[in-house]
Amino acid sequence: MLAALTLAALAWSVVGTETSFASLHRALPNMSAFLHRMWPPDLSWDTSEARPFSPPLRLAAAAVAITLQISLLGTALGAVGAVLLGLLASENLTPHWLHHPIKVFLALVRSLPIILLALLFVAAIGLGPMPGVLAVAVHSLGMLGKLYAEEFETADPGVWEALDGAGANWFQKVRFALWPQAARQIFSHTLFRFEMNLRESAVLGLVGVAGLGLWIENYRRAFDYRSVATMVLVTMLLVLAVDQVVFHARRRLK
Amino acid sequence: MIQLEHIEVAYGRERPVLALESLRIAPGERVAIIGPSGAGKSTLLRCLKGFVRPRRGKVEVLGVNLACSGQSARRAVNQRVALIYQQFRLVPRLSVLENTLCGRLGHTHRWRSLFGWFTPEDTRAAWAAIIEVGLTKKVHQRADTLSGGEQQRVAVARAVAQEPELILADEPVSSLDPAWAADVLELLTTVQSHHHATLVMTLHQPELARGFAQRVIGLRAGHIVWDGPAGDLTDDNLQALYGSDQSNYVPFRHDATA
Repeated sequence: MLAALTLAALAWSVVGTETSFASLHRALPNMSAFLHRMWPPDLSWDTSEARPFSPPLRLAAAAVAITLQISLLGTALGAVGAVLLGLLASENLTPHWLHHPIKVFLALVRSLPIILLALLFVAAIGLGPMPGVLAVAVHSLGMLGKLYAEEFETADPGVWEALDGAGANWFQKVRFALWPQAARQIFSHTLFRFEMNLRESAVLGLVGVAGLGLWIENYRRAFDYRSVATMVLVTMLLVLAVDQVVFHARRRLK
Repeated sequence: MIQLEHIEVAYGRERPVLALESLRIAPGERVAIIGPSGAGKSTLLRCLKGFVRPRRGKVEVLGVNLACSGQSARRAVNQRVALIYQQFRLVPRLSVLENTLCGRLGHTHRWRSLFGWFTPEDTRAAWAAIIEVGLTKKVHQRADTLSGGEQQRVAVARAVAQEPELILADEPVSSLDPAWAADVLELLTTVQSHHHATLVMTLHQPELARGFAQRVIGLRAGHIVWDGPAGDLTDDNLQALYGSDQSNYVPFRHDATA
């Protein structure tokens, strides 16, 4: 029954999207021509020749920097907000009338795709890196708030009671009973989210946020596909490098 | 110090798990509460700590009636009453010193403590407590890497750092092996007399109660069935207390108290 439903859904999708080996085959010459235009990646450093934008390698460092800055600041802002909302969303810390609406709010924030958030912030604020920071921060808040709340909820309640009995107030109990139990997982989740945000903020250029994505889009519009290839390679290298750093950092947190 | 009158404690609409006519404990007394599982021993201690409120009656601890007083009065008493648990309930990942400093949270500056800043007085009190429980060599070791007996010593240090007038201990040695059990009870009685505090503990093994307490209170099904000096407690009394429920009766063993 489940298998039949799955097959039916897949068949429906194939028909709707007009995906077939035949059309893939028809597209092959086009694809190879496209790849051909991208090769070899533009590694020039010369600015004397006339072209709409500077050579990609000259712009790469600044683009990498701005993409990193957007994801760092966005993750940090999101994480700070997520600690506060995560505490308020924990079932063991606040009454139902408080933690329930906050959980719903976090779910709503999460449900918006990050590129849509960026589109809205660009429309509200204008082009530049800041709408990217805000989009990343808001989307991280939704996910990290939920994950942090889960960490707070699984902490041993016995320790909380013991410190309550020692005369600690609410903030002291959060700091000394919950935080030591949750901190490692919280850092681990945050690092994971930072890695995600780096990938996301590279894409946000499509809607006008500064960074690597914006240059990929600019070169594409200028039909400068060899420079597009260079920027894509730079993006891949950056993501792989950060992926490795985060992987080792998270393993040490285990 | 402690004065209970006509109290009835129940969870939900169930019949009371604890119903005492009258119980008084004077300052400086060392009391053991014994009885079969489910007799209400832990409930009595949690009642004295203010964690459980009786359905009716009076629970006066250190001059405050916990059964009906407001939040602020309860909080003031809370700090003067330390509770030690069977499962230690230390903060994992924190060191022995940091765990002991947690006992100072009610005394120290509230906001500064959130940044881990404690006053010199707090640090002095914590160190004194650690010296008292004999863990000076492990001050900076993580508490969750210690043995059970050592962890309970840290819990005692945390309680001492709190400077309590009343020390409650809920089955403090039930998860320790006999050698450590005697050791921790020895420590508790030393700490109690050194600080002129009152000690009320629940114990699973009557022979430990006879060995370490001055007064023994026997609870059965929520009622006091025996109350007197530890020396007067006979094997017949214990038979009456534990009845035919042999699973709860731990036979008398002299070597543990030696």
